[in-house]
Amino acid sequence: MHIVVPLRQSPDLVEELQINAEATDIDRQAAKLGISEWDEQALEEALCLKDGSGAKVTVVTAEGGQAEELLFTALAKGADRALKLAGDFSAPMDNHRLARALADAIGRLGANLVLTGVQSVEDLDGQVAVLLAAMLGWPHVSVVTRVELAGETAQVKQEHSGGVSAELEVRLPAVIGVQAARRTPRYAPVSKVRQAQKSAKLERLAVATDGRSGLRVRRVFKPEAAAQAEMIQGTPEEIAAKLVAILSERGLSR
Amino acid sequence: MTVGVRVDRETFRNFSSAEVALFYALACVALAVFAYGVFLKLRKYRRGRFERRFDNLPARLARALAVVASSTGVAKRDALAGVLHGALLWGFVALFIGTTIVFIDDDLLRLVHPAWRFWHGAFYLWFKLLLNLFGFAFLAGVAAMWLRRKLFGLPQLDYARVDRPAGEYDRSAYVRGDALFLGLFLAIAATGFLVEGLRIAADRPAFEVWSVVGWRLADALQAAGLPHHSSSQLHFYVWWVHALLALAFVAYIPFSKASHMVTALATLVFADADAGRRLPRAVAGSEHLGVKKLADLSWKNLLELDACTKCGRCHMACPARASGAPLSPRDLILDLREYADASWARPALEQPRFLGRDAAPQPEAALAGGVIRSDTLWACTTCRACVAVCPVGIEHVPLIVGLRRSLIEDGEVDRRLGEAFESLARRGNSFGQSEKLRGRWTRGLPFAVKDARKEPVEFLWFVGDYASYNPRVQEVSRALARVFWRAGLDFGIAYDGERNAGNDVRRCGEEGLFELLAEHNVQMLAQCRFREMVTTDPHSFNTLKNEYPDFGATYAVSHYTQVLVRLAEQGKLRLKAPLGKRATYHDPCYLGRYNGVYDAPRRLIGWLGLDLVEMPRSRQNSFCCGAGGGRIWMDESNVRERPSENRIKEAVALGGVDYFVVACPKDVTMYEDAVKTSGNEGKIRVRDIAELVEEALAQDGPA
Repeated sequence: MHIVVPLRQSPDLVEELQINAEATDIDRQAAKLGISEWDEQALEEALCLKDGSGAKVTVVTAEGGQAEELLFTALAKGADRALKLAGDFSAPMDNHRLARALADAIGRLGANLVLTGVQSVEDLDGQVAVLLAAMLGWPHVSVVTRVELAGETAQVKQEHSGGVSAELEVRLPAVIGVQAARRTPRYAPVSKVRQAQKSAKLERLAVATDGRSGLRVRRVFKPEAAAQAEMIQGTPEEIAAKLVAILSERGLSR
Repeated sequence: MTVGVRVDRETFRNFSSAEVALFYALACVALAVFAYGVFLKLRKYRRGRFERRFDNLPARLARALAVVASSTGVAKRDALAGVLHGALLWGFVALFIGTTIVFIDDDLLRLVHPAWRFWHGAFYLWFKLLLNLFGFAFLAGVAAMWLRRKLFGLPQLDYARVDRPAGEYDRSAYVRGDALFLGLFLAIAATGFLVEGLRIAADRPAFEVWSVVGWRLADALQAAGLPHHSSSQLHFYVWWVHALLALAFVAYIPFSKASHMVTALATLVFADADAGRRLPRAVAGSEHLGVKKLADLSWKNLLELDACTKCGRCHMACPARASGAPLSPRDLILDLREYADASWARPALEQPRFLGRDAAPQPEAALAGGVIRSDTLWACTTCRACVAVCPVGIEHVPLIVGLRRSLIEDGEVDRRLGEAFESLARRGNSFGQSEKLRGRWTRGLPFAVKDARKEPVEFLWFVGDYASYNPRVQEVSRALARVFWRAGLDFGIAYDGERNAGNDVRRCGEEGLFELLAEHNVQMLAQCRFREMVTTDPHSFNTLKNEYPDFGATYAVSHYTQVLVRLAEQGKLRLKAPLGKRATYHDPCYLGRYNGVYDAPRRLIGWLGLDLVEMPRSRQNSFCCGAGGGRIWMDESNVRERPSENRIKEAVALGGVDYFVVACPKDVTMYEDAVKTSGNEGKIRVRDIAELVEEALAQDGPA
């Protein structure tokens, strides 16, 4: 059983994002990149499968940025093989181009299962896994919270709205978009990451990055403030009086 | 004394040569068993990891002997036990020396050169007087210790475990072991005097009046109507009982609590004065960082385990134990000892019996997470109260950190702790905030705080995470900055160059992350020009002062209370008016117990015109707030009463105390919470010493 986990580097939202001079993308030089949190969940689920049934786990990520740190951390956590994907990953990197590159990599690496984050902060509509499955011609399930392997198939638990879950069976090979792993992602001690940096080798794989979405980014901009919030201050009585006044002024109270 | 009377006594009074031979044969058996026990122990220590503790041996020995001779270790938090232990210890030492003198005189010199024998005449009389007195001290000490055990119902001597329900273990072997130890002592001392009394009653040598106890006992025996010939006969039997008990004791020493007479002394000799304060770096070339298997314990660790007498001082001092967490430092040590003995030093007395679900630990088991539960290890606040109070010099904290290192290597990390680590690795703070915001708290000050990376400063202020990021503590930081400014202190901070100093990261056992943080800070600080470093956080203070030197960086580090008291005493701070309130002061573990800074904050409190009322647990005995050792990042759900609430109750119970004065950023948040959650709002106010100084200052700006 070979599981491939593509890791996407996404900007750290703790830091304030800047927009580049051309207003076509965020300023990726200034942004702090890190593993997309959903990919971290996908990796954890893959490692849980490895712990349970001895699957082999390969992680891949686009070259550049924090690629090495991401891959060494994954190795420290227990991944077996780590590859940097080489190609034209220059911005803007849309989901189609990324999926194309991943499909190419997975085609060459061979895999029984691809686990990837259901979305990322730059793919909130969760397209990458879907596109990847389509390009590979494999079945796909998204918003998954647990994967169990059963020979030629996988049993997956899919999360629906309103606290409802479904159990699905999917034929392998398949692409699965992971919402959450069965457990909190494991912690990689810094000493182990440093050990991996010293002893493990990262491979490099040239991939096709000629995917096209047919879309062109016209402008990237920060959300514009639509209205101001007013903070009401004073004693509880004064605040209550002001609230009543505002509500009746706007015809919101009866 | 009458001329012509030989002043001494026969060792074997009215013995046939066969009986004498029997005694020597039994003595040889006892010594053989003793030697075998010693061999088992030494073999066990040899299996431990090598550790170098042999520097300054004469000084080490002198320090250890001073502690043992004065019984000051046993007197910690229990003065009565110290006095009683002193009595029985000195009694025992004197009796041991006395027996050795008789052995030299009677067994060696008799054979070698009888003319050299000296155990007679005036020497004999002084010998008798002294041994009677010391023997009585021994008997009285042991008897009083027995009564203390029986009458006081001391909770530290109740061997109830904190991590298992009552039905799941059986520690009656401990109770039997204690009874046997004390019982043997009592019986040996009592029969010793009885032998003497009976001999004096039978023979009445006039000079034996020097045997002050034996003589009176002989009087009493005769007054009770014991006939002369019965005394003589009884002497023979009681002599044998005394001899057999004494020989049994010799054989029993290495297998029992009695071995602490040697192991405790050795532990004290090889003690590390910096234990816990400066943790060991990872051993280069070792396969793993932490204490995983028994063989990862050093010979010193194994020796410490044997030195424990189950006195329970650590059990009582431990804030985790008091809060209901599944950690008792005593039980941690005992569990490891039992496991070490079961694996490496059989036969051993006092073996554990786990009943019900939990089986006894398997051989080759993991220590961390196996022999010792991981929640037990995570419960430790590394407050060092156990190390400070231990009479025999056990170093629990470095051992617990070693075990935690092994948990970390196995990735066994609580979710919140893992998040804190990741944030620390990525952004250098545990708040999950941008590193760029570290210096943001300085906004709103009436002056610009110098960037120590860009211009030389006299004082580099290492602000720390809580003082930089926690909104409440930021107020304290601004207060302290204004005080420094008003005093005309030339100071600066390193803004986003600073990372968490790593003290608590290291104590969680995340050694790799600690190295990462320390290496960054050392490199950054090398770019700054400053004369002295000042920290807000006692935790940062500890690691910068004591541990960074291992990274090639030695600084003059002060805590802000030390700098403030200097400024006050130099007249650079002027008091508007004495604050005139009643205050109590909480010694932060890492400032007080760890680094001995007890007086600077107290002098400041005095200077401020506050009336200081000490809590029962202060200075060395201060009670941890519960935040140390990374506990502040962990789940608190296994806690019955938070240590901070326990502490606030202690302060409120003093009566009429206005301020609960703290000198640690974590304490500000811990105790302000605790005042609310313990329902003491309005009764006592938590005040950081920096805020009090600002409130009391006369000057508005730099003079």
